[in-house]
Amino acid sequence: MSDRPGVVLRREPARGCLNLRGNPRDAGFRNAVAAVTGVELPVESCTWGPAGDAAVYWLGPDEWLLVLPAGREADVERRLREALAGSFSVVDTSGTHCFLNLSGPARGYVLQKSSPYDFHPRNFPAGRCVQTVFAKASALVAANPDGSFDLVVRRSYADYVRDWIADAEEEYGFARG
Amino acid sequence: MLRIRCPYCEEARSEEEFAYAGEAHIRRPEDPEALSDREWGEYLHFRTNARGPHREMWVHAAGCRRYFNVLRDTVSYEILDVYPIGKAPSDDSTGNGA
Repeated sequence: MSDRPGVVLRREPARGCLNLRGNPRDAGFRNAVAAVTGVELPVESCTWGPAGDAAVYWLGPDEWLLVLPAGREADVERRLREALAGSFSVVDTSGTHCFLNLSGPARGYVLQKSSPYDFHPRNFPAGRCVQTVFAKASALVAANPDGSFDLVVRRSYADYVRDWIADAEEEYGFARG
Repeated sequence: MLRIRCPYCEEARSEEEFAYAGEAHIRRPEDPEALSDREWGEYLHFRTNARGPHREMWVHAAGCRRYFNVLRDTVSYEILDVYPIGKAPSDDSTGNGA
């Protein structure tokens, strides 16, 4: 085993999360979200986009996860409710999610051991995000421009997922960020 | 293990991500009060149990959490068609089309 860690797992600080639902074919809905958040909703399936210090992930054909710096979610939620009309939903899910970042040369092997999804860069380039089976739990996995992966897991599964990754990465050498 | 193409995620995913959700295109009677016990029982419990092409629902449980319709051969397990909820089947050769 080399002394350079093959995998680095970092637990990210808590963030503000809003689950947003609405009709992506309604330009009024998309424009109102963009005006409030500065974020263009990704309408292509399984994609995500950063927007300054925020990020928005495609979760379904009419559902997104909006991730904001902690503390901003209540204000953004209130402004979204003011700006949106018709059929929509905004739910603060900040307490639900735990954010992990997986980097290092062996990061792909650890993901491959944990999920049936093909995380090879040819199938999963930067800008893609998938919700899939991870270990025996589920996770939202996003490919970052720097090659690392962000994992969004349910808080109640976070310890389990970290233990799973610790076991999976043991053969590659690992570090905690 | 099946590979199922989710019509919303627009890619083939492992069966592990999905859950089976029963026969598709079962229409709730407009006026249940008007049905006999036999008709109500058939609506609730009786299914086509097709040998061959079968229209059924799956839910992408670990993915986008949406329900959709699948036309699957129950003998070969080959998936012949996948289409969103609310869309009429392309033909009714299975006998359980809408």
